[in-house]
Amino acid sequence: MAAVETAQRVREALNSLNRADLKDPRLMEVLDLSEQLVDAMQVFFSSLDRTVHQEFRYIATYIARTRQEISALRPNDIREARLPSAGAELEAIVKNTEDATNTIMSAAEAIMAADPSAPDYGDVVNAHVLDIFQACSFQDITGQRVQKVVDTLRHIEGRVAHFAKVMGVQDAPVEESERDRRKRELLLNGPALDGPETKQDDIDALFAGADAKDAIDALFP
Amino acid sequence: MAVDMSMPILVVDDYNTMVRIIRNLLKQLGFENVDEASDGQAALAKMRDKPYGLVISDWNMEPMTGFELLQTVRADEKLKPTPFIMVTAESKTENVIAAKKAGVNNYIVKPFNAATLKQKMSSVIGDF
Repeated sequence: MAAVETAQRVREALNSLNRADLKDPRLMEVLDLSEQLVDAMQVFFSSLDRTVHQEFRYIATYIARTRQEISALRPNDIREARLPSAGAELEAIVKNTEDATNTIMSAAEAIMAADPSAPDYGDVVNAHVLDIFQACSFQDITGQRVQKVVDTLRHIEGRVAHFAKVMGVQDAPVEESERDRRKRELLLNGPALDGPETKQDDIDALFAGADAKDAIDALFP
Repeated sequence: MAVDMSMPILVVDDYNTMVRIIRNLLKQLGFENVDEASDGQAALAKMRDKPYGLVISDWNMEPMTGFELLQTVRADEKLKPTPFIMVTAESKTENVIAAKKAGVNNYIVKPFNAATLKQKMSSVIGDF
């Protein structure tokens, strides 16, 4: 029931009591106070109604805008086309690299196993060296595939960054997954981006023996 | 004391290519008795089956990492004396320190070459 309607009903009840011409002054005093209270409540509930209405309108507008922004993210395109395509490219890169490595290794092993005193030794070595050259051509194709994956990541990065900015999204704290916990506890950091983070010479110094403590200190500048 | 070139060596890595590379390098260095394992658990089973003169292990493997293998080996009275070299792309200082504290005999960061492998092996098992 709306606040205005409730107030109206209370007012009618009061009028009805007034019309009854009751003589008890204390009752009349209570009725007067009640009437004032109802008037005050009517004003209060009316303003409350307006505020609630405005809040709901704001929320509805926000939801509509969020929907628009999510739509602009094109999440279905990312999930159904771009990410599977990038995944397929990465799998192809792994396979191409693996195939090339196997070809090169097999050729190298064949050269190692070839008998230098055999009359056809030169031909055998040349044939396998040619295999190695041909296998190295994977580099060109791999480079192109990597570029496609990078383009996809940039596309997603751009859209997500725009969404976060427009919606004022703050990063929420994330609970550590079992996989992340394992990585942290077992120091599974993976390879560094620009070569080894700790150079072999520094590691060697660490294992040198007498100066090991100094070497450890040197690793923590 | 001369190094026994026929001693069994266990190479532990989940990438077959890396196992193949190390096996070939070891062959070039004169070590032909080489076994393989694809993770720490498989390596541990092999080590409990037969004694190895040297273990060369990667770090990042599933389900048991090379670091866990090292810790387990050093905690096992029978396996404890086995020389252990870590060959890994894990090059953070904390990794090197942790391995050193866990009792690794030497540490090689990938990528590496035959000379580095020979040098580190010599420092662990003696000149050959």
